[in-house]
Order: sequence, then C-alpha cells, then structure tokens
Amino acid sequence: MDFRTRLLQTLRAIAPVLREPGILVVGSEVPNLLEPEARSSLVVSEDVDIAVPVENHAAVKAKLREIRGLERSGEEPSVWLPLERDLIEVNFIGMDARGGRAGETYVLEDDTFPLLVFGHLSLLSAGKTLTIADLSIPLPRPAGLIVEKLLTDRSGEKGDRDLLVALALLLLADAEDLGELESLYVGLAPDLRYSLRSGLSMLSLLEPRSHMPDPTPHRALIARLFARLEATEKDP
Amino acid sequence: MTAILHERARRARERALIRAWEYRQRSYSKGVWYRLRRVLVEAAQAWIIDETDADRLETLGRVPHPVGRELEPPKRIFLLGEEESSMVRHREQVPVRLCSRLLNARSLLLVLHRGAEGASLPDVLNR
Repeated sequence: MDFRTRLLQTLRAIAPVLREPGILVVGSEVPNLLEPEARSSLVVSEDVDIAVPVENHAAVKAKLREIRGLERSGEEPSVWLPLERDLIEVNFIGMDARGGRAGETYVLEDDTFPLLVFGHLSLLSAGKTLTIADLSIPLPRPAGLIVEKLLTDRSGEKGDRDLLVALALLLLADAEDLGELESLYVGLAPDLRYSLRSGLSMLSLLEPRSHMPDPTPHRALIARLFARLEATEKDP
Repeated sequence: MTAILHERARRARERALIRAWEYRQRSYSKGVWYRLRRVLVEAAQAWIIDETDADRLETLGRVPHPVGRELEPPKRIFLLGEEESSMVRHREQVPVRLCSRLLNARSLLLVLHRGAEGASLPDVLNR
C-alpha cells in the first residue's frame, strides 16, 4: 500500500477529530497534502501531526473515542499508534495562539489526553480545507507553517528535512503568502528572526535528498526572500 | 504519564535559551558560520581560485569579503557578477555548500545570482 493511501486512511480514521473547530493538520505532511490530488510524493516521516487548540481541548478529547484503527500509546499519551498496517502514527500536539501562554512551550496536563503545547505553533492560523472524496482536511495557512519549519531547532537529518519541508511550502506559496510570511517575520522577537534567517541560510546550502525538493535550482529564490526579510531589519 | 512530555518541554525551553545566547553572541566568533552562510546564500556558483588570481583581483581593486578574515586560516572570498568573474581563468568549481572542498580553499570566487550583480551585499557582520 502506498504512503498516500495510508496517510488518507489515517486521516479518515480520525475524521471525527478533524471536524472539531480549530483543529489543523500540521507538520511535514502538509506539503504532501497540498500536491495535486494529495499525491504525497515527499518522504518525510511516517506519522501525521494534528494541532489541537488548547481552548478546544475538552471537545477534541471527547471525540477521541470515535477514532477507529488506532490506540493511544501507553508510553506517550499524545501519540496514537496504528493497529492496522494501512494506517500511520498520529501525534496530537497543543497549539495556544490566544491564551496567556501563547508562544510558550508547556505541557497541558490531563489524565488521559495531555498535550505538549509548542510555542511556535501559535504562528499558525487556519487556512483552506482540503476535500478529498468524503474527507475534509483542515490545513494551516502556508506562511505560518513555513516560519514554524524555518525555526526548527532540530539538528541533523530531522532538522534538514524540516527545512526542506519549508522549501516545499515556499515553492507553493503565492505573493499573498510571502507577504504574510514577511508580516509574521516582523512580529517575531529578534532572536527568532535571527534564527529564521539562519535556517534559511542552511536551507540554501543543503544537499539534494531523494524524494524531497532540491534547494539547488531554487537558491536564487531563497536569496531574494532572504534579502526581503533582511530589508525589514531596522538595526541590522 | 506526562513525564516524557515534561522532558520534551524542558528540552525545548533549553534550546530557546541556547538560541537567545547564540543571538547575543552573533557579533562574535560564534556568529561566523552564520555570516559565512549568509555570503554563500548570495552565490549562484562557487569556484576555488589560485593565489595568483586572488592577488590579481585585489590589485584590480576587488575587495575580499571580510568574513573570510574571520576564519582560520583566513580565506579571500570575492563576490563578482558572472561577466566580471570570467576574468579569472584558472578556477575549479565546487558546490555552494559547506563541503570540505569549499572550506579547505584559501581563495574563493563566488558568482552572484543573476540580477544581484548591481546590488550591494548588505553588511551582514552584525546580523
């Protein structure tokens, strides 16, 4: 069974959760889903991340019992593991964009459905809902996800793949997305802006990897984006 | 049950502290890799050139980028437009990435992306 089928089957298995307001499919599978017919040609990871707004935690928790074909991991309660070979792992992560702790990374405590709330996910906002047959997949706006991926603090292979996911999204971005990306960038703290530029510079110099977009032919695009962001710096 | 999540949150907060420290150190030696990468971002091509050609470029008034002097041993890194770069005949192309061939070169010629020739490379030393 190909990866596309497994990804879509998994999203179908958690469809009751996806119907909850504010839920977003995030992470590395987003560019796969944004390919024509959700072709899913990028080989990133064999799991899918689901961002849960902390304000809707209780409603989402109530929907978990409707999930079929996956079960909660005993070791990591925010991870749901496939019971069948045609499904992939699901990681639930917390997103706090509006609360008093927005931008902070913390644990949302709960007896059965605790979540790690990632600070950078506060950059995400709801984008288009992808419809594939009977399945509705809520996606974030690309700009926030690009920023989130460029701010990766992972190193080595995983960090490189995060950056290549950002490239995959950049290649799909239109002028409006790039304008939004610039606005998000301007709103970041100085150390995060530096970190984002650092990520962009690393992306520009990455070696090609199989089943991932090759940065080499897009280096001029990255340089232009770099210059655009740099131009917003008042005190470089 | 949440011990793993707390540990991951702790590591994330730790990385944020390191990031803030790196930002404060950016103008010092800690920031040199960023400055070198920043210069390489501008390059469509990278070429290793010999010392004679590097001397000649300096004689002709081309100033090596200051980031090269921050490295040990220092490098002379010239950024030129494609047309201007053709004045250097003895050169060996290397990929524009932090590979050993590029890092071991004493003198480098970086050819700017098309359209960037007229623009001045921003002073990235303090960014």
